[in-house]
Amino acid sequence: MTAIPLEAYMLVSVLIFGLGLFGMIVRRNLVTVLMSMELALNAVNIAFVGADVHLGLADGQIFALFIIALAAAEAAVGLGIIISIFRLRRVESTDEITDMRD
Amino acid sequence: MIQWLAFLLFSLLAILSALGVVVLPNPVYVILSLLSSLIAIAGIFFVAGAELVGAIQLLIYAVAVTVFYVFVLTAVPWEKALKKDSHYRIEGVMSFPLLLLMYLEVLIVFSLGISASPKGQIIQISKKFGNTEVIGSILFSKYFLVFELVSLVLLIGMIGAVIIGRKEAQTYDSDTP
Repeated sequence: MTAIPLEAYMLVSVLIFGLGLFGMIVRRNLVTVLMSMELALNAVNIAFVGADVHLGLADGQIFALFIIALAAAEAAVGLGIIISIFRLRRVESTDEITDMRD
Repeated sequence: MIQWLAFLLFSLLAILSALGVVVLPNPVYVILSLLSSLIAIAGIFFVAGAELVGAIQLLIYAVAVTVFYVFVLTAVPWEKALKKDSHYRIEGVMSFPLLLLMYLEVLIVFSLGISASPKGQIIQISKKFGNTEVIGSILFSKYFLVFELVSLVLLIGMIGAVIIGRKEAQTYDSDTP
């Protein structure tokens, strides 16, 4: 009976982070892009907690708590931006928001 | 043994649900899949012995943030959105090498950063007291300034969300096609 190694946590974290990154790039609905971002933030939390167990520290868990708090703020501001984009432009797809690019 | 079993179960559930977040077409299915993934990740935290983070993950993420997303998904009249075909399909496929590169970068950062980190002594204190007490004592001593800064960030985020989300006096519907 051995403890779970750090590599297992890192593997799960990298897989979920990659899926979140993939979703951020591939999805076109604005809200689902934000949800993929939440997934990536959670993957970072898994890495923090797994490294904590490996190192015997508690600092990573505190940073995970900070990430959760910042993710809540990010969700509030991001959804506010999405609602105001919808109200101004009547679009829900990332493809249509090109005003700052051209 | 049971620890491995639980870890594998939670990890598989989290990864499968994360796959659902990426591939499912309907945003409501996506939020359900995200909820499942968040709960599985809370399970991973519990297996790792981080009870406080797992509980807060369940309380804040799986309840508050998810309900917020559901609220936005149901309150905004998405059916009034202008439907257009995507013109960026090939560009999406072409971004794959960049994605793999980012994967590699994350792997390198993780492996190098962990091998360079020092071994800690806090696990002895953690065995004497509980996990929550250790986190609380460190949070309110070593990271107290950061804690206050996070409260400030939350306040600024709240003000920003109110200002961004308020109703504009004039919309730009007239000059968009």
